[in-house]
Amino acid sequence: MIRIERRLEQPRRLVVVVPVVSIVVAFLIATIVLLATSHPPLHTFRRLFDAAFLANGALTETVVSATPLAFTGLAAAVAFRMNLFNIGGEGQLYAGAITGAAMGLLLAGAPSPVVIGLMMVAGAAGGALLAAIPGVLRAFFSTNEIITSLMLNYVLALVIDYLIFDSHSYLRETKGFEASVFPQGKKLPPEATWSSWTIHGLALPLGFLVAIGLAAAVWGLYARTRFGFEVQVIGDSVRAGRYAGMRTRRKILAVMCLSGAIAGLGGASQDGDFRHQLDPRGLTQANYGYTGIVVAALARYNPFAVVLVAFMLGGLQNAGYTLQGADFPAGLVGVLQGLILFSVLGGELLIRYRIRFDRRPAKAEAAAPEPAS
Amino acid sequence: MKRGKLALVLPLLAFAGVAVLALGPATGAARSHKQAAAFKAAWIYVGPHNDHGWSQAHDQGRLYVQSALGSKVETTFKENVPEGPQTCQVIESLVRDGNKIIFSTSFGFQDCMVSEAKKHSDVFFEQATGTAQSTNLAEYFGRAEDAIYLSGMAAGAATKKGVIGYVVPFAIPEVIRHANAFALGARAMHPGAKVRLIWTNSWLDLGKEKKAAQSLVSAGSDVLGQNVDSPATGQYAESKGIPWVGYDSDAHTFAPKQWLTAAVYHWGPYYLRRVKAAVSGTWKTGFYYGSLNDNFVGLAPYGPKVTAKTKKAIAAKKAALLSHKFYEFAGPLYDQKGKLRVKKGQHLTVTQLYTMDWLVRGVIGSAKG
Amino acid sequence: MNNSLLVVVLAQGVVYGTPLLYAALGELLAERSGVLNLGVEGMMLVGAVMGFWAVQRFHVSSPLALIGALAVAALAGATMAAIHAFLVITLRANQIVSGLALTIFAGVAGLSSYLGNDLNLAKSPARHQFQAIFPKSLQDVGVVGPILFGQSALVYASWACVVLVALYLTRTRAGLNVRAVGESPAAADAMGINVARYRYAHTLLGGAFAGIGGATFSLSITPQWLAGLTQGAGWIAIALVIFAFWRPTLCLVGAYFFGAFTYLPFALQKYHWAPPPELSQSLPYVMTVVALVLVSSRAARLRFGAPAALGLPYVREEN
Repeated sequence: MIRIERRLEQPRRLVVVVPVVSIVVAFLIATIVLLATSHPPLHTFRRLFDAAFLANGALTETVVSATPLAFTGLAAAVAFRMNLFNIGGEGQLYAGAITGAAMGLLLAGAPSPVVIGLMMVAGAAGGALLAAIPGVLRAFFSTNEIITSLMLNYVLALVIDYLIFDSHSYLRETKGFEASVFPQGKKLPPEATWSSWTIHGLALPLGFLVAIGLAAAVWGLYARTRFGFEVQVIGDSVRAGRYAGMRTRRKILAVMCLSGAIAGLGGASQDGDFRHQLDPRGLTQANYGYTGIVVAALARYNPFAVVLVAFMLGGLQNAGYTLQGADFPAGLVGVLQGLILFSVLGGELLIRYRIRFDRRPAKAEAAAPEPAS
Repeated sequence: MKRGKLALVLPLLAFAGVAVLALGPATGAARSHKQAAAFKAAWIYVGPHNDHGWSQAHDQGRLYVQSALGSKVETTFKENVPEGPQTCQVIESLVRDGNKIIFSTSFGFQDCMVSEAKKHSDVFFEQATGTAQSTNLAEYFGRAEDAIYLSGMAAGAATKKGVIGYVVPFAIPEVIRHANAFALGARAMHPGAKVRLIWTNSWLDLGKEKKAAQSLVSAGSDVLGQNVDSPATGQYAESKGIPWVGYDSDAHTFAPKQWLTAAVYHWGPYYLRRVKAAVSGTWKTGFYYGSLNDNFVGLAPYGPKVTAKTKKAIAAKKAALLSHKFYEFAGPLYDQKGKLRVKKGQHLTVTQLYTMDWLVRGVIGSAKG
Repeated sequence: MNNSLLVVVLAQGVVYGTPLLYAALGELLAERSGVLNLGVEGMMLVGAVMGFWAVQRFHVSSPLALIGALAVAALAGATMAAIHAFLVITLRANQIVSGLALTIFAGVAGLSSYLGNDLNLAKSPARHQFQAIFPKSLQDVGVVGPILFGQSALVYASWACVVLVALYLTRTRAGLNVRAVGESPAAADAMGINVARYRYAHTLLGGAFAGIGGATFSLSITPQWLAGLTQGAGWIAIALVIFAFWRPTLCLVGAYFFGAFTYLPFALQKYHWAPPPELSQSLPYVMTVVALVLVSSRAARLRFGAPAALGLPYVREEN
């Protein structure tokens, strides 16, 4: 009989070996799939890595995908570490994009650093405000935050559509030839364009650097402060936290808002770094929020790892567009991406659990719930 | 987080390791030697290439180029491309793959086309339905309204009750002028006919298109037409025994009994000209507005329900359009409220068509969606 | 009278609610056993494409072809669910992430799109489709005609499924065991119930239902294949399960309610009364949140709440 039990200690060796093995396994399965569908595997992998990381300008494009994923990944990681399953990063990103764009338009003419700074504040506030809804409901009414945050994603997608397609809102461009051809958001003034720095041909947008800074801040918050400690205690057991005299409700609300603020910042970065207008179709077709959850989980909620994984998945996404074409169906791209995710996810088991083979039937004992992280 | 740090670095290392394995001794630079001879051209679609509508019509144009030029060109496409920063990534990857001319087929791609055209002056860019031009970015579209007018005539001839349903995507000038042309054509064959609009707020969504069609039928329409991309309206029409006028592509297989005709685009000849010009170095920017005369737009083959009399009337109108004796957007034209919008003797210009925001008399529905 | 707003919207609510109902029943079974599967959209799409493939390829009489197609769709959905089951039950992976990965793998830009392309399914409409089964005279009966008698066999079959699932969960040994597994796997294990086996069975069953839900689109509502034709129905189905407090009968009510709301904006445009379509489209989501808040009190949660072990892997601990 095969038994699986939780490891008390996780050997370093495994932390090294397992991710490597899972990725190799992913590529082995992918090879089989590619051979079965008569596409040359080596050529495909070469194109994948080329498009994601190696080719001229590929890294710059990868960072475009990685930036929002780093934000939504951090947003998910912050909440998931407390066992708060905020899957509303998608909607909170939209909310931040709305408030960020509004702020950018309002402040037209002000000095650029002020505009950019306040856009970030507005984006964070927008995301936090939206996340506060499931936060309050969870903290004070014990309402399951998975569903409430998921539902709000749809509502916000509809709000964006309404603002640009079905109303003459402040954010919609109503003048000019182009705007009369197709509904679109007002172009942000030039001072609302976030700076970017080019190093050896790699363009680093301000948003990406902010995300890296945030990762450090989140790490510091959780590893070095009392707040972080209490959050982890409450995450493990709300009751334990309460007995220890911690204000659990406030913490729940605070963490949800923090998570939403980070996602909202990502939304503002979409406005400032990339789109320079509120762009409903671009935002809602990208699924950054949901992919961010995958990022956070693969990074095992470690903030620095989130940035790295966001970079990898950003590359994978960017490469996906390169791979598909007349001779490579779009559907196969998703299959390959899914396979890589499945393998990495499956490999996690070997780090956390020990597998034993023995013959005597096991006796059942009490099961403990999964600890955080 | 005791074990954290290594855990982050290692997947990356593994990723890099596989990369090195995959790349082997060769590097990216050596890649494209084999096909150096073929000229590369690419298309970007907003939907799937086989949607039986807009994107499929473009893809047929692509295949037309491929079969006309054979091994001299290598064509490819990207489908279901999101209209956001991802568009730029797609264009960037196409340029990197060595494509020398790129056709973008949705208005939402325009921002990225503009910025990428600036970045890559050695690549030719072509934007359909757009509004921006530069030295290496051209615009193209066509007078679909002429063909839609003719398809509206088929609908007008088929209606008995004088109520025609028209499924429309977004309340934008392109769609409004198409709906107007359709209504004008229908009313030419059935004076006093009403054309009802229902908006779906989506270019391609089978479910919404069917719901819109249902709602139109329950409001009394006995003929259906559409300006949206999929044949869902036609399938519903077939199940209800109601004649149907399609759009973009010939989709008669989806409603063999009820198919009347459709205004269709022949993008192929234009694409072929432009790719040839790009190959020979004579490519120049510009705004191309194709017409019936250059067979850019036309009618799909008729279905069994179109009578000989209707065919004759349509053929006569088509001849008049071809010889410029007739123009559907010539005055007098009244709007929904009966206000005179275009005086007798006046013609709407292309710019006016591109900003049209009012519906002609006989159309029931709002121009605001 | 049958053309009045209320009757039309109710009748269409049943039509458009049916795929949601199938998918939600499936998700309900999986969740009752403690497995949250966010990959419903992916499973529905694979079901839709394989069901469509089957109906094009099975050269038999119409009813047989359709039944065969449903079986293929169910099998396809269950196969997708098996990936999730293996990852989260055997390998104890995070259920939320695995479900999202399944959506990427199978969804609109994944396996379903690949299969549709490779099998060249987009080129023609379905050779057979589910149609209204009652005679026209019965369909035209006032009010109840269009709502109750104007439907296809898929609708009536879904009613049977609701009854069967409800009876199964409340009246059978196995059903009670499922609930035990979802509420307290450790206790269930102690009672000698094989937790993993129950979870596998119900996750797979959930996938089969999702597959049929997807096939409802490609064989009945819009009988053709186009990548992504479910348009997010899988996500609504997940919401629906919660909206229905994990009760099959409430799933039916909720599905028709949600279905009606997807049709409502189109019905209203006819009356030249066009509130922003976003308003009625967002109502189901807002209502779900409200409903959830209403039953969040401690007492209500015990009666109506989520299975206590939902989303948690079960590991047998030994000393």
